[in-house]
Amino acid sequence: MLRIRNLHASIDGREILRGLSLGVQAGEVHAIMGPNGSGKSTFAQVLAGRDIYKVAADELSFDGHDLIGMAPELRARSGLFLAFQYPVEIPGVSNLYFLRSAVNSVRKHRGLPEFDAVDFISVAKHCAAQFGLDDAMLKRAVNEGFSGGEKKRNEILQMMLLEPRLAILDETDSGLDIDALKVVARGINAMRRPGRAIVLVTHYQRLLDYVEPDQVHVLVGGSIVRSGTKELALELEQRGYSWLEQPVAVET
Amino acid sequence: MSALLAEQNIYATAFSEIVDRLPGRGLDWLDHLRKGSIERFVQLGFPTTRLEDWKYTNVSPIARRTFHHVLSPSRTQVADSMRSQVDLVPGPRLVFVDGILDRSLSLKPDCDGGLKLCSIAESLRDPQQAAALERHLGRYPGLPDHAFVAWNTAFFADGAYIEIPAGEVVMRPIHLVFISSGAGQPIAAHPRNVIVVGDGARAALVETFLSVPGQASLTNAVTGIVAGANAAVDYYQMECESTDSFHVATVNASLARNADFTSHTFSFGAALTRNDLVVTLDGEGAQCRLDGLFLVEGDRLVDNHTEIDHRQPHATSRELYKGILSGYGQGVFNGAIIVRKDAQKTDAVQHSKNLLLSDHAQINTKPQLEIRANDVRCAHGASIGQLDQESMFYLKTRGIDSRAARQMLIRGFAAEILDGIRVPDIRRQSADLLDAWFESSLEAA
Repeated sequence: MLRIRNLHASIDGREILRGLSLGVQAGEVHAIMGPNGSGKSTFAQVLAGRDIYKVAADELSFDGHDLIGMAPELRARSGLFLAFQYPVEIPGVSNLYFLRSAVNSVRKHRGLPEFDAVDFISVAKHCAAQFGLDDAMLKRAVNEGFSGGEKKRNEILQMMLLEPRLAILDETDSGLDIDALKVVARGINAMRRPGRAIVLVTHYQRLLDYVEPDQVHVLVGGSIVRSGTKELALELEQRGYSWLEQPVAVET
Repeated sequence: MSALLAEQNIYATAFSEIVDRLPGRGLDWLDHLRKGSIERFVQLGFPTTRLEDWKYTNVSPIARRTFHHVLSPSRTQVADSMRSQVDLVPGPRLVFVDGILDRSLSLKPDCDGGLKLCSIAESLRDPQQAAALERHLGRYPGLPDHAFVAWNTAFFADGAYIEIPAGEVVMRPIHLVFISSGAGQPIAAHPRNVIVVGDGARAALVETFLSVPGQASLTNAVTGIVAGANAAVDYYQMECESTDSFHVATVNASLARNADFTSHTFSFGAALTRNDLVVTLDGEGAQCRLDGLFLVEGDRLVDNHTEIDHRQPHATSRELYKGILSGYGQGVFNGAIIVRKDAQKTDAVQHSKNLLLSDHAQINTKPQLEIRANDVRCAHGASIGQLDQESMFYLKTRGIDSRAARQMLIRGFAAEILDGIRVPDIRRQSADLLDAWFESSLEAA
């Protein structure tokens, strides 16, 4: 579903991703772990189409679409979703209106009928309730004045409503207390499907206690230096990242 | 300068030609007032950008045209598209075409619960009402150096005279509509409105300005509002004129003890708009909230000058003006707050927030605080920004295209103003006009 070979990304002449390669199949959950500054968030943003990065790769494709040069909204409509590490606050725009616009633009692309305001309220409420979310969050402005936990849950709510083929969750566990973490993990697990892939980008192993990955990759210095099963995450938890941070031969 | 003086002389001549037919002719105080005003107008001349108050607003497009004045109602049919805007707010209304009352479009209040809503020209014919008007018209509205106010005072041919008795609660908004007919020649209308709200009375007042596209026109309106003790006035100014029009509006509100005045000033369409809003907090505990939203595209200009005069203690003022500017549009905000020596415990907050959608749009925003009391809270802030790129990316990653994302952020920016509108029809219309403006500014870009 996601095929990446030799991905490079730079910003202001500084190279952040240096020859990253990764393959993700439908139905799989992958965890990308790595120390601060290793390029995890850049990787997530590049996949979603952030145009501030200069991107080059031998292959960067999702479901057969070449992602290079593809607009972020088209990626989203094709089924790619990014849960932001720092969701953006948008004052004056109600969450409900924002969610409906997003869902309708994706539905339109898929040839499905769009929701009117009334129908959408019940859909959104249903999703929110499943997930233990307060209705009031729907009426407030997008992420404005939301606590860290509320923002992360709002991201998961968007994921549930948009039903992506590939979900990339960027540090969705950061800043959550253990109860909130469990709620978010429950939301993620509820999304697992044979036809859907999930990529968890995280610094810590603890989310993986609740969402069990099929594969774990370690990102250091802009490329993947080791891949393994969930046991690799436990090893990282005990030993940290330093033992992997040896200079790695990077193909240039 | 000499060219401008020549223009004023044209109006001095025009004045001598029509003065005998202006309403209230023969009332000594008014004859005197009009004569003094035309002299003042000629003496002041059209303001130039050398004056601090007009530094960014070049009125030469007005000064170099010759505008005509009409004294009888136009026979022009009001276009159907305007009919819906005239009918927008249900309730009593007066409609003025080229500055003259059009009876057929106006609606008198259906029950006379004491609300007086009439033409100022008519009222001047009644000795008792004329005497009452003398108290309000007998001086400039606090702006002796404002050439356009002097021009209005000399030439006004009609306007609304509204009186709301003490304790009266007017349920439905009172609508004043001013239409430039675009008939034949460039016409200047100088509506003059006097609104007296008694102690404890409450009312909402909407002034809508419309013009037929295709012909240059000038509307130079002056509205005086006097609010008694504990009165509440909710005032809206909807400038929805065409880009062939020039709009100059001066509003002067004077508030007694514990009176509450809110205003919403919207500027949507005229080529050049200059608004002066002067609020005098002349009683303890008086409060005002002044909100404004202006949209400019093409090479339009909107200039909002406001002045809040805190004269008495414990008064509160809140002010928020927002501008959205695209193309080569220009905006000006100048917000004066004066706190007199006796006005202790004044609480004043002013914000000017501006969204620039193009590299060529321009905004000049300036707070102007004069504080002579020592126990006060005065805060002000100004911001100028562009659409936030993080927010744009966030919306796009949800499948929302660039255009819809821009529109969403622009609506979000305006929401702080629109959400404060208490008349639902006006709230809806403002949102529609914002969306229509968004479409047209995209086409222009």
